Formats: sequence, structure tokens, C-alpha cells
Amino acid sequence: MTTPRLGYPNLGLGVGLRTAHFPYILQHNPTVDWFEIISENFMDSGGRPRYILEQIAERYPVVMHGVSLSIGSTDPLNFDYLNKLKRLAETSNARWVSDHLCWTGIAGLNTHDLLPIPLNEQTLKHVVERVRVVQDVLERPLVLENPSSYVTFANSTIPEWEFLSLLAEEADCGLLLDVNNVYVSSVNHDFDPQQYIRSIPAHRVVQFHIAGHTHCGTHIIDTHDDHVVDPVWDLYRLAHQRTGGAATLLEWDAKIPEFPVVHAEVLKAKQYMNSEMVVKPLNSEPEERGEGPVTVPHPLAHIVPEIA
Amino acid sequence: MIDQRIDLTVVQRWMQTVLMHPAGVETGVASEAARAWIDVTPDQAESVVEPSHSLSGLERLAIYNRAYFARLLECLRDSYRVLFEAIGEEAFDDFAINYLQGFPSRSYTLNDLGKHFPDYLRQSRLQADAGETWPDFVIDLATLESLYNAVFDGPGVENQPLVSSESLAAIPPESWPHVRLIPVPCLKLLALHFPVHEYYSAIRRGLDADYPEPSETLLAVLRRDYQIRRYELTRPQFELLAAIIRGENLESALALAADSAVDLDSFAADLNIWFRNWTAEEFFLDVADAGQSKFDV
Repeated sequence: MTTPRLGYPNLGLGVGLRTAHFPYILQHNPTVDWFEIISENFMDSGGRPRYILEQIAERYPVVMHGVSLSIGSTDPLNFDYLNKLKRLAETSNARWVSDHLCWTGIAGLNTHDLLPIPLNEQTLKHVVERVRVVQDVLERPLVLENPSSYVTFANSTIPEWEFLSLLAEEADCGLLLDVNNVYVSSVNHDFDPQQYIRSIPAHRVVQFHIAGHTHCGTHIIDTHDDHVVDPVWDLYRLAHQRTGGAATLLEWDAKIPEFPVVHAEVLKAKQYMNSEMVVKPLNSEPEERGEGPVTVPHPLAHIVPEIA
Repeated sequence: MIDQRIDLTVVQRWMQTVLMHPAGVETGVASEAARAWIDVTPDQAESVVEPSHSLSGLERLAIYNRAYFARLLECLRDSYRVLFEAIGEEAFDDFAINYLQGFPSRSYTLNDLGKHFPDYLRQSRLQADAGETWPDFVIDLATLESLYNAVFDGPGVENQPLVSSESLAAIPPESWPHVRLIPVPCLKLLALHFPVHEYYSAIRRGLDADYPEPSETLLAVLRRDYQIRRYELTRPQFELLAAIIRGENLESALALAADSAVDLDSFAADLNIWFRNWTAEEFFLDVADAGQSKFDV
């Protein structure tokens, strides 16, 4: 039996580190449990972002979350990228390194999106082999997140929850269960999100993500630009019950409010720990906001230069 | 339905071609490039991507297509915020979408996305009537912003010991011709047709600014204490620093700079002040070939 969370600690309630909050964090030292960084924003940094990360890593536990590993692509793995990832993990004392079950590009290109792969035996074998290589380079278990997605493939034969379970067991990796992504994809692909949560191997869940999204009526876009909605909190409660708890992180990537608002949002998770499951109808989603011309699924992993 | 055994590469090449198509997914699916991978018409696209209860396969693919351009445009606007302000959303987005066709991202980081934007602007034929200078203004502004972005997060020398005016003064006069000053790695020079640095600063401060008149503009740009600094240079100063950055010794660098000086006497008289100011502004990392370095002082 695998050790719960692969032996990784439950770091508590954390927040995704975003440029807009750098000054507040350095000035106020908020009592947040931990921070998650977007790996690609710091791998090559020789300037202020790296300097700030060093200060934050001295004060808080840090976890690395990547958006360009492209574990599902059939392009060769980028070993230069992997070695930089490893170095950053060492210098920032990252507690673990995560990325997504997705591909981001092929033929040398990067779309900077987290694209789904067909889920079948052929692709499972492909991803398992690549996760093993990545873990050999990083010399630590990789933690993979379920992406939110907007298409499914006609040649998929395995439900996503089953694919992730098989992948985690066969590659011996961890899982980052993004509860919001489960909800988003359940609406987009017409499946039961509670069945998804119940089917994931609880002992492999190292971390949870929670976030807000945009409901467009016919589908949901994973925008990370608002508060977490009640149906997602209910799924979080279920996930917490099944796993016994794991490090929980709030992502807020657009229309980012002041740090205390973001921090208060993740602290709401306490209300959903060790409380009874109240099954609410899944149509209790708040009002539809509609998809505007600039509704962009996140992540948008880019540090905006601060130049006077 | 397509065969489960269809190669993952084929599905990915097809999907990437479709989602990156500037005319949208219907045109993308019908394109020769996409059909070279999976030969389906838009009507047959659901043999590859399934519909949901409320959206067709093409409508679902279109979410990725819209997101691709929206995400990358947002990133380019962030990287070139002043250029965006200067030329407006419509013109900027036209340039940016064309740029993405010619220079799609090949990097794992979005920080590199706009790296070739000034090159693209230079290479593309900006439509201007004879005698109009706005293309040079656009290119200059993009070049300045690109350099600021690179220097902001590139290698720097914060918390490192640098050359001091005392260590320069300690160099024996007979050693000066052979001395090579090692510039800090973030010191970069720019030769522009417009004083876009002043325009840039005004816009970033939220001030109204008219397009500047053309005027040869020579700049030194570097980063100190994680802040971008820029300095206007005269032609002899520019040539001198350019030679130092190329690794010339001072004898050679001064000879090259003197060629561009109008008045050699004042050039010689000003040198001491220039080096004192540049040292105070932390232009130099070390001294080589003088029989000593900053660490000996």
C-alpha cells in the first residue's frame, strides 16, 4: 500500500503566488500556510521575480506547478527544460513538482494551452512511459493534475478518472485533484463529478486545487477569475472526506483582487472539512455570465514586467 | 468514429493545426494542412471530437481556437503595453495576429513570446506613404520595450561587488591603454530614430504624450536594484561604450570613439567625468588586463 500523499506533507491552505501580490506579501508576511509558484515564471529569471521567490521561499513552503511539461505530447521530452525544473526545485526547496495531464504543443510549437489527449490504452502507455522518464530526471515523484477540458475524443475508451487512477498506479506518481476542473469538465462532458471524486485513488492525492470559473450557459470556461462556487465546495468536502485531507490551494489568475480577499477565499475551505456532506442539486450554479470575446481559460503563465 | 489505434501524433497535429488557424475552426478543419493529418470535412469533425449535450464538436474546438488567440494577444499586449497604447487595439492586434502566424511560440515560457516582435515589424512591410516616418517610430518603440523586458528579468549584478571609482583611480596611468573594462551583463545600447524612451516614460506615468519628432537617440540601458535605468548618450559616448562591450581595450575603444568626436579637446577633457559617472551608475563589473581587479583594491 502506498503511503498517503506519497509521503508528502499536508501543507494546509495555500495560495498561488501572483505578481500583483508580491509587494503585499513581502511587506505584511501574511499567515498563509504555503505558496504555489508557476515554475516557468521563475526557471530562467535573473531579475526581480527570482529575487522575490528567494525571499518567499525563506519564509514559506513552496510548491512548483508547471504548465509546459506537455507530458501527453508525442514530441520528445525537453531535457533542458527538465533540468531547469530540477534546479529550480532544489534552489527553492520545492516540496513537490506538479504539472497537468495534457499536451501543450507538437512539432516544436507551444500553444500555451493545456490540451486534452484521447484517453485509451495506447495513450495511457505513452504517458506512463514519459512520467517514468521525468521522475528519473527529477529524482522525485511527479504530481499530475486533471485538466479542465472542452472537447472529448471519439477514440477515447477510458473515463478520465479511470485513466488517472491507472496512470498514477502504473507510473507510481501523485495526483493533484483540481476539484474545480472536475466540476468544469463534468458540465462540459456530461458526467457525474461525484463519481469522479469517488473513483480517484485517495492515497495518491497529494494536493487539491480550487478556483472560480465562468459559466457560459452551454459550457463552463475555467477562468480562475472569481470566488469558488458552492457545487465546487461540495465536491471539495467529498474529496476531503475521501482522502483525509491534503494540501489545498486556491488559484486566482484574472481580475485578481487584493491578497486578503484571495487568502480569505482559501480559508473558507475550513468550513468544508470534517463536516457532513450536504448533497445539493448540481444546478445550484450561480448566474451565467456568458462567454465574452476575451474569456480565456487559464493558466496564462506570464510575469508582466514592472518597469517605471 | 476514428480508429482508436490512430496515432496520437496525428490527432495532435490535426488539432494544433485547427486551433491555431486564424480564420477559425471550420476553415481550419477544411484546410489542406489539417486534412493532411485527418481527412475530414467540418461536417465530419465529430468523428474526431465528440459533441456534448449542448455544443457540437466544432463549437467545442472553437473554444480552444478563441482561447489560443485571446491568450497570446493578452500576453503580447502586456509585453508591449506602451506600443499598444500608442497605436491602438485594432492596429496592434493586426500586427500581433500576423506575428503569431510567422513566429508561433517555440518556448516553454510565455516570457519569450514577444521576443521576435521587433524583428517581425522590421521585416514586414509596414504600409506608409513615402516620407512618413511612423513605421520607424513603431519599430523603435517595440525595440525599446523588448529590450526593457529582457533586461528586467535577465542576468544582473545585484548584490555583487562592482568596479568602484577608487579602483579605477588606482590603475597606473601606463596600464590604461591595455585595460579592458568588463561591463555588467545587463548593460545594453540602443540606437534609435526617435526619442521613444521619453514617450515610453510619459505613457507609463499616465501622462498624455504626442508622438515625438524624429531625432537620433542613443541610449544605454541597464538594471540596478532590479529597476531599469536608461541614459542618453552622445555619439562618442555610444561608440566608446559599444567598443568596451565588444571587449576592446581602452586604447582601441578611445580611438574609435574619438573618430566620432567633433572636438577632440573637449572629448579628452570629458573622459574623466564620463568614466566617473558610469562607474557611479554601475556600468562596469570588473577591470581586466590592468594587473589588478576590483578585488585588489
